[in-house]
Amino acid sequence: MGTRKSTAAIIAKTAKWAVLLFFLIFTFLPLLWLFITSFKTNYELLTAPLSLPAKWQIQNYINAFQLSDLHLLFVHSVLVSALSTALNILVASMAAYVLSRYHFGFNNVILSILLAGILIPIIALMVPYFKLISRSGLYDSLLALILTYAAINIPISVFLVHGFMSAIPKELEEAAVIDGCSFLQRYSRIIFPLSKLGVVTAGTFVFLYSWNEFIYALLLTSSVRARTLQLGIRFFKSQFVSDYTSMYAALVITIIPSIVVYVLLHEKIIQGLTSGALKG
Amino acid sequence: MKLHKNWRGILLFLLPVLILYCAFFVYPLGFVFSVSLTEWNGVTAPEFRGVRNFVDLAGNETFRLAVRNNFIWALSLGFLQIALAALVAMILARRPRGWRLLRTIYFLPNVISQVAIAMLWLAIFNAEHGILNQLLIGLGLENWTHNWLGEIETALPAIIGQQVLYIGYFMIILLAGTMSIPESFYEAAEIDGAGILQQEIHITLPMLRGILITSMTLAMAYGMRHFEATFLMTGGGPANSTQVMGLMLYKMTGYLDYGHANAVGATLILLGGVVIATIRWLLSRGEAASEAMQ
Repeated sequence: MGTRKSTAAIIAKTAKWAVLLFFLIFTFLPLLWLFITSFKTNYELLTAPLSLPAKWQIQNYINAFQLSDLHLLFVHSVLVSALSTALNILVASMAAYVLSRYHFGFNNVILSILLAGILIPIIALMVPYFKLISRSGLYDSLLALILTYAAINIPISVFLVHGFMSAIPKELEEAAVIDGCSFLQRYSRIIFPLSKLGVVTAGTFVFLYSWNEFIYALLLTSSVRARTLQLGIRFFKSQFVSDYTSMYAALVITIIPSIVVYVLLHEKIIQGLTSGALKG
Repeated sequence: MKLHKNWRGILLFLLPVLILYCAFFVYPLGFVFSVSLTEWNGVTAPEFRGVRNFVDLAGNETFRLAVRNNFIWALSLGFLQIALAALVAMILARRPRGWRLLRTIYFLPNVISQVAIAMLWLAIFNAEHGILNQLLIGLGLENWTHNWLGEIETALPAIIGQQVLYIGYFMIILLAGTMSIPESFYEAAEIDGAGILQQEIHITLPMLRGILITSMTLAMAYGMRHFEATFLMTGGGPANSTQVMGLMLYKMTGYLDYGHANAVGATLILLGGVVIATIRWLLSRGEAASEAMQ
């Protein structure tokens, strides 16, 4: 009896660590391989794909910057992500403020209609978005992407921020009214700052979405004038032709900012994600 | 005291969101469904065709293949990915050594863009120097090597496989859910002599029910909307074996065939809704049955 139980325990323990190890290898090994390969020559890649580079040379990284306008694409991506996040958070928090703090009769109707947007597959709206953007003369501009990303994420941001705002006790706001705070001041000095965690969660969400978005960057822009990093990656294949290792270097450069942000903020990102998800 | 109603303020604060929502949600939805009933190239006047665009699609073999593939995507993500995510979440919830670090690492790929991940897997599946074939050769399994994305039999499983194994997002959500189950439930079960496996089946899974249903619904919705990895890795080929609805919609938009493109879009929206409603109905029926039994 005793030995049977311990055999079972050993099997269970081995299985447990096998599962954990498998997913560790799956997430990490490809990225590590990409990183190592980006320092190799193409000859080394083709003759010994799994070995370490004979010499860790940075020529690939120099090629990557020279061939692909990476610095320009990088600036575009930062601009689009930061501005779409700012715009989205501003308008979504204003709406959430009114919807959560003032009961004027159709709060729930408006809220339900806004939240229903979460269920719509945005990818199905390609033709109308294309028409809307080209008719307003914004085709192939960064502004097109900023507006689109800010708008697409309104439902999720209103959902997250509204949840936090409606949890703020009414007494705080009433005290502010007695102190002579106006409608606008109650928003900017009390309700908005007090729902910081919800705002940060929504902001992180929108920023990562905008930074990584591909489909509408592909559909709504055509030239390098409004090209973001993600869309730029698509052209690596034609720009680098068979210079694989330089392409991998370019890829590493595009991945690094995401990893740096994640290493710095991972506790916040994971916390924000789970608090939003568990509420839903 | 009652807060004084400031109608001008209320309206002013709601207006930006209402305008953007109408422009990017209400108007586009109306556009998709109305244009799907016409033939239109975006320049000349649209011509009403009734449901004939949908009839065309139903008779189009490529479209049928795309719908089939979208369902394969939805089922793989909804069942396989969620099952794996739940398994890892239940292991990590028992706080084995290094669980915090593992949780952080497993989630990492979710902050990297789909595009970069797709390019990475293009390199891994590369027939000549890709790491996958090289590993198989190294293990003495030459017969198992493939031109993974170039062969009809392996292309779809290869793309879906790499996506299914990125469990990070749902694992994090399920882990948080599992960890919020009171410790005392497990302690009581322990005293009653229940093993770990029994505890997971009889405590964790029933307690996670709500989060599991939400996760499965979301994962299946993602499967119906899939676009990026296929666009970048195979473009729908070889021989349309990896074709999906999103890709067809994109191509038809490029050909200015707006009638059919929007018919694909409308189908995508409707099928997505049907899938979500069906899965929730099936799962909630199970819930009613299990409640009746107790």
